[in-house]
Amino acid sequence: MTIPAVSVTEVRGWVRTRQAAHKERGETLGNFYFALLFIAIVGGMLHRQLAVVFWPSVPNASQLAGVSIIVALIGGLYIALRRLGPLALSRPASSWLLMAPVSRRVLLLPSLGAAMATAAMTGALGALAIMGHVLARPLAEQVVALPLLGALAANVLLLIALAAQADRWWSGLSDNIAYLLLAAGLAGLVVDSAVHAPRAPAGWPPAGSVLPVVGGLALVVIIFFALAVRTLGRTPNDRILEAAKTAGTLADSAFGVEPSFVTDMLERRYWARRKLRSMRLWRRVPVLTAQDLLLLRRRPRRLLWLAGGAALPSLFGSAPGWVLAIAVVLGGMFAGGVTTSNVRTDTGNPWMLRMLGISSRDSVLQRCYVPVALATIWYTAALALLQILGELPAGPWWALGIVLGPVGGVAAVRKARTGFVNNSILPFDTPMGSFSPGPLLASLAGVDVLLLGVPTIVLIAQGNPLDLTGVIIQATLSVLAARAYLAGTTAKERVELSGP
Amino acid sequence: MSYGSTPVLVDVNLTVVEGAGVCITGENGIGKSTLLRCISSLQSPDAGEIEVFGGPPGSTPEFWRAVATTVEPPTWYPGLTAREHAELVCRAHGVDAEESGVDEALERFGLASHADAIPPSLSSGQKQRLTLALILLRPSKLLILDEPEQRLDPDGRATVAAMIAEYLAGGGSVLMASHDDAFSSAAGMSPISMTDLHPVQA
Repeated sequence: MTIPAVSVTEVRGWVRTRQAAHKERGETLGNFYFALLFIAIVGGMLHRQLAVVFWPSVPNASQLAGVSIIVALIGGLYIALRRLGPLALSRPASSWLLMAPVSRRVLLLPSLGAAMATAAMTGALGALAIMGHVLARPLAEQVVALPLLGALAANVLLLIALAAQADRWWSGLSDNIAYLLLAAGLAGLVVDSAVHAPRAPAGWPPAGSVLPVVGGLALVVIIFFALAVRTLGRTPNDRILEAAKTAGTLADSAFGVEPSFVTDMLERRYWARRKLRSMRLWRRVPVLTAQDLLLLRRRPRRLLWLAGGAALPSLFGSAPGWVLAIAVVLGGMFAGGVTTSNVRTDTGNPWMLRMLGISSRDSVLQRCYVPVALATIWYTAALALLQILGELPAGPWWALGIVLGPVGGVAAVRKARTGFVNNSILPFDTPMGSFSPGPLLASLAGVDVLLLGVPTIVLIAQGNPLDLTGVIIQATLSVLAARAYLAGTTAKERVELSGP
Repeated sequence: MSYGSTPVLVDVNLTVVEGAGVCITGENGIGKSTLLRCISSLQSPDAGEIEVFGGPPGSTPEFWRAVATTVEPPTWYPGLTAREHAELVCRAHGVDAEESGVDEALERFGLASHADAIPPSLSSGQKQRLTLALILLRPSKLLILDEPEQRLDPDGRATVAAMIAEYLAGGGSVLMASHDDAFSSAAGMSPISMTDLHPVQA
């Protein structure tokens, strides 16, 4: 039986006509006007900050920093493109049109065009920011073409990611290379901040090399694009459906101001791809701690990132002391969060806690051990490294890291116990419009506990040599904080993590 | 107990003696699940009194160590296999996974070949089997089951019915809602119609 193919353009046109019947006259124009107005208002408010990010008055980064950012951006952008698809359809289109007798290539081409335009914009902005921060001024005429080079390079990455989307083996290899590039770029930035590398010399990059590279990349984009269009129809359905779900979840997360949708989706996908072998839970530790240790053992790459991440606070070495201090204190909270997905599960639905019959006091205590240990190790390593790199004065900073651990660990658990964003709180009316405090309160969960690391923040910000008194003050506060958190937010007579 | 202006449970009077198995039957929407949720303390009635083992149902660890239920949908820990979930439940109740027969239970429920799978990757019927396996593995005094035969194939229903009958024979109590008379009879339950429990029709 032959099924006649239907024109995608006609089908989409028909859908648009039906959708337009439900809209008020001029609604699309109105939306366009408000989008432009929004960009103009936000641009007017933030133009100074944007200038600092993209085009500071004088270049302020070294040549090494520039190269490192380029390498990190290549890795980071590729990972982002892979996570997003990069080829995706809207959820309605994936449900109704993907399985319809329409040309797959024509159906997917608009998505490819949108992805290429977005990637080009990102690449151009990245190149502009690197130019503004790194290149000596005045700029040579041909160097002005660097944003175009950035746009083309981003499109090459997109088209490689597109090829990887259709091939699982390729995808694993290319993802690993991208992670390595991101790590190498960050390591370069750390080295730059440690050695205070020299600024880029005048005339770098050589003006004569820019146009040939732009021309070469344009040729590569044209060839890759032609190949992509030719094989577009063969992109497997499951990859497009997965990307459509990602786009839908991101939209839900943005409209509902609920980041946990994305976190849950990433978590589900990660474990769905893993092939596990059942192991025995370690008997010498409490049962929930044994479960956390098992989870930790199954996330070796995350541990590797944590180990590398201990060097990242040194990037803030030249920033004001309080910025460096806050970066250190926040870093421990993220380090402690490796195993807190179990706490998030229990907060969302306490079915397993009821099945286990463990009190909230015991379960939170058992769930705190691993985050506190991870935060302690991370703080100790980060502060010791800062001292070795000369960013901190003399003193037992490693000891301060040890006693700060409970604060970071408890903050990670507190953040995981937040649950969904509470959007039922009455919004505030401000001169800028209505403001809903729910998302802000949710984003501050965990960070509030970090206020108990204030002694450490003050000690780092002051920049004075550290003595044992500071360590003892922080130790006392950390112990009190952990005990108060347990006593105040859990109960021996209740299994659910949230109170009645 | 009512949802908005719609009364669901009115003047309900039910006593389940210790060691007995009672199966509540009745059409959809008559209030079977609501009654089980109230008894499990997962929903508060507007008025009336509920006692489980001589006290009000609550969210205490003691209550949940005595009562196991499938009234609410299960949740699964990330990165933990089906077998590890079973071991976790046993260890939390102070029993050794090997001694309590985790592997035998998974075998009996037809999950032995899926012991290394993460529960979200299982089919809906397999998830139901795993939920029932966890509930029957852990020590408890009362099972509150909401249509446990749902999503199970005929073999699965027979296995679960036999295990509920064993649980009753071991001195446990069971309160269950079901539409399957044959299943409830095979499990050794005494049927009671919801209409007999509350005189006012919803």
